This record gives sequence, C-alpha cells and structure tokens, in this order.
Amino acid sequence: MANRPVHFIWMLDCSGSMGVNGKIGELNFAIREAIPEMQQAAESNPAASLLVRAISFASGASWHVSEPTPVDRFAWEDVHTYGGTDMGAAFKLAAGALQTPPMPQRALPPVLALASDGQPTDDWRAGLREIDATPWGKRAVRVAVAIGDDADKSMLKEFLANPELEPLQAKNPRQLAAAIRWMSTAVVKDASTPKVEDARPASPLGPAPLTKDDEDDIW
Amino acid sequence: MSGPSTPARTRATTGGFAILGATVKGVGKKYSQDSCGTLSVAQGRAAVLTVADGHGSAAHFRSDLGSWWAVEEFTACAEGFAREAVRVGDDAKGWTGLRAEARRLPQQVAHRWRERALLHDWNSPAHGGLRLPGAVGGAPDLAVYGSTLIGAVLTEHMLFCWQLGDGDIVLVDADGTPRTPLSTGPDMGDETDSLCEPEPWRKMRSHWEPFTTGPPPAVLISTDGLSKSFADHQGFLDFATGVTERAAGQGVPAVQAQLADWLERAAKYSGDDTTFVGALAATAPAEPKSAVDGSADGSAEQEAEKGTAW
Repeated sequence: MANRPVHFIWMLDCSGSMGVNGKIGELNFAIREAIPEMQQAAESNPAASLLVRAISFASGASWHVSEPTPVDRFAWEDVHTYGGTDMGAAFKLAAGALQTPPMPQRALPPVLALASDGQPTDDWRAGLREIDATPWGKRAVRVAVAIGDDADKSMLKEFLANPELEPLQAKNPRQLAAAIRWMSTAVVKDASTPKVEDARPASPLGPAPLTKDDEDDIW
Repeated sequence: MSGPSTPARTRATTGGFAILGATVKGVGKKYSQDSCGTLSVAQGRAAVLTVADGHGSAAHFRSDLGSWWAVEEFTACAEGFAREAVRVGDDAKGWTGLRAEARRLPQQVAHRWRERALLHDWNSPAHGGLRLPGAVGGAPDLAVYGSTLIGAVLTEHMLFCWQLGDGDIVLVDADGTPRTPLSTGPDMGDETDSLCEPEPWRKMRSHWEPFTTGPPPAVLISTDGLSKSFADHQGFLDFATGVTERAAGQGVPAVQAQLADWLERAAKYSGDDTTFVGALAATAPAEPKSAVDGSADGSAEQEAEKGTAW
C-alpha cells in the first residue's frame, strides 16, 4: 500500500523587475518562511505525499528544483533575477512534468503556483495550451499571485482557468508573505478534495488572508 | 438491507450465497460518507449488493445522505429485478426482457434518488433558502448530496452490475482469476461522475453475463478508498483474490471477522472512507492448496503485511 503523491510546482518570475524594491529577496524570504507551514499542512493529510519542485523564469526558464522533493526534506535555495519574463517557457517546462509519464496516473491533482510582477515577454498562451493539453494540467489546482501593480492580472486570471478565481495581490512584503503562505498550505488541502466531473465548479478557494497593517504599498 | 453504520448486519449466509461486508471511516474524518447494503432475495437464490460513496468535501456537505439514499433506492429497484432474474433463471428466452429491464433500472434509481434529494432540500434548503448559484430554472443544485453508486444483482445463473462514478467491482472466477468488467482504466485525481449531475443514468456503465460454463464468480464491490490505498492496480486485484481464496478456504465468517481491520489499514493510506461488500456462491470453488496447508501464500492477511507489495 502507498499514499498518493501531490506534486507542487512553484513557477517564479525572476525577471529584472523583480530586483526592484527588493521583491526577489522578499519572495525568497516568503517561500523559506512558508516551508514549515507547508510541512504541517502535509502532515495533516497523511494520505498524501507532498512533493515540491520549482521553476524560475526570466530570459528562458529552467528547473530551480528539478527533483520532486518530499516536503519534509525541502530546503529553499534563493532564486536570482536574470532578464526578461519568459513565462511561456516556464509553462512548457511544467507541461513536460505533467505528462504521464513522468507524472504517475495514481496521484492527487498537482498544484501549479505562479508568482509574477510583470508582463510576459514570450508566447505565454502557447505554453498555457501545452499545460491544458496534458491530463494532469487540466486537473491541476492553480493559484497565482500578482506582485505589485505592474503584474498582468488578466493574464494571471487566464492562467487560473476558473472564472470564479482571482489572482492574489501583493503590494508589500507582508502581503506577499501572506499570499505565499496561503498558496503553500490551503491549496495542498484543496488538491486532495474530491471533484465532480462536469459539475458546476465547487466553491473556489477562499481568498488569501491579507494582513491589515499600516505598511504602505511599495510595489 | 443494512447501512453504513451497521456493516455487521450485512453478514448472512444464504442458501445460495454467502455475503460479507464492512465499512470504515477515513482517517481524521468526523463521519463517513460511504453507505452500503446487501439483500438476500428469493430465499437466498439471489443477492443484491450496493455501495455508494458520498463526495465528502465542503461542496457536498450532505453527501452522507446522498449515498444513503443511493443505496436504499438501488436496493428497492433491484429487489424486484432480482426476483424476476430468479424466475427467468437459465431460460434464455427471458433474458432479452431481463436485459431491457436492466437498462431501465439506472434511470429509475436516479429519478428516485433525485426525488428524495429534492424533497429534503425543499424542507431544509441546503443554502438557507436562498436560490443557489448555478440553479437552473429555480431547481435546486443537488451537488451537496452528490454520491457515486455501484450495484449488483447476482443469481446462480447470471450477474447484472451497474456503476456510476468511481469505485470498483471485481469478479473472481472459480480458478482465482480476477476481472473488472466495468473498469475504465486508472482514475486521475479524484474526479468522478455523480448522481447529482443532470441525467446521471446516461453515464452509468452496466455489465451482464450469464453463467453458462461454470459457477458464479465471487462478486466484490468497493468504494475507491480501497483501490486507491494500493500502490498499483495489481495489488488491489491480489487483495480481491486473497479475500476470495480465504473465504473459500476458511469460510466467510473468518474473513468477515478480519475484514474491518483490513479496511482500516487501507484507509490509512487512501485517507478515504473505505467500504467493501461481496457475495460468494455457497458452492465455493475447490480450496486452494494454500488455504488447506495454512501457508496462505498470497492471502489477504499476508498481502497486508507486505506493505507496498500489495
């Protein structure tokens, strides 16, 4: 007997603009801080094995963490900025991982978690089509956070592929940390929620608990 | 008929079939949304088996009721059908009519289930009396009651079975070969067809087979919590074969006594409610050597001890 895996894939914008006002540093910090809570969320669902990977994209895209790593052994190495916003390339990498194989058929829906602060600079729709063409891509739980006001929210909404969902919005480090924490935990639970084929979408994931603070929006 | 909270009541040895069953709650869940029922018909010459799996998530918060009604309504419809199947017996001239009746049964069950869900929602609106989002023409959305359904009618001459949504029906032939006549291949994720969908009978798969060359197979029905606890499909089939061999070798009561423990173990891996019912012909196949000498190679218990080898 064996638990079923939940594959969690971060897709992180490492474009040059993420270097402005310390966004990339805050993103690294938020992910690192979310790992313990992610581990707790995974522990609360003993029937699932949470496996984490990460893609970084800027000028092109590459696997930042290529091996599906059990969350209890997952450690975060910082990502760094390096150019444009080739989100389509990241989608294509993710689509390759969502094929069966390498993705097993006996699994829970994977999670695609996207964080971006700008406009894609490549053909992102082609990449998104590749994700949608995979059996697991159609079934994936998708979440996205728009970092700052310059992020392409309509594009992120299209990535979510659910009219009832909106991308999260982070305009300062605390909001980004809250969004990342929520993406790391709530969606893991949602990924193991039964779905009814062809039915009206179930209640979408609730909004991330944004912090009420006196911090100004800086992004 | 028995329900999910009283699996022991499913145990009965009839003239023609021995019946076993058990259900366990998923790990960490407050209550189970699975239901099951067994019924002996025509002085034991036919058995009616059914399991239903309420979807269980927040969007389906009344699915324990939905699965209960699925079992009750299937059993009510199948009881008369089973009597007719016994009456027809091996007279092939009556099989055409019987099969026509079998094709109508899913729609009957779905209508009756829907009537009960509508009545319940009318008296106790799921969303506080507000019109639900997605409701069409004022009709309530019955997703809160969503459930799968698997049912079977077994006589000494034939088997009919129906399936809507996930779960498994395994037939184990006299030589120990397992078959899954209604399998659609591996499920991806936890999507499933459901009684709460419009016209669900159109998605109900069905299977019929007469027993012209040998005794009836063992018929084993389970919710998806069982098969999803195994590392692969073959492990699940091995479990079904092991249960059947052990029941043939040591008797159904011995298997029944351990069945809940086996399901508990499975539920730890799938995390889901796990329900299993089965019927075996009283004229059991010859005992396998393993059952006689006690080595029980490949038995369900030993399979359980093998962990991922299941």
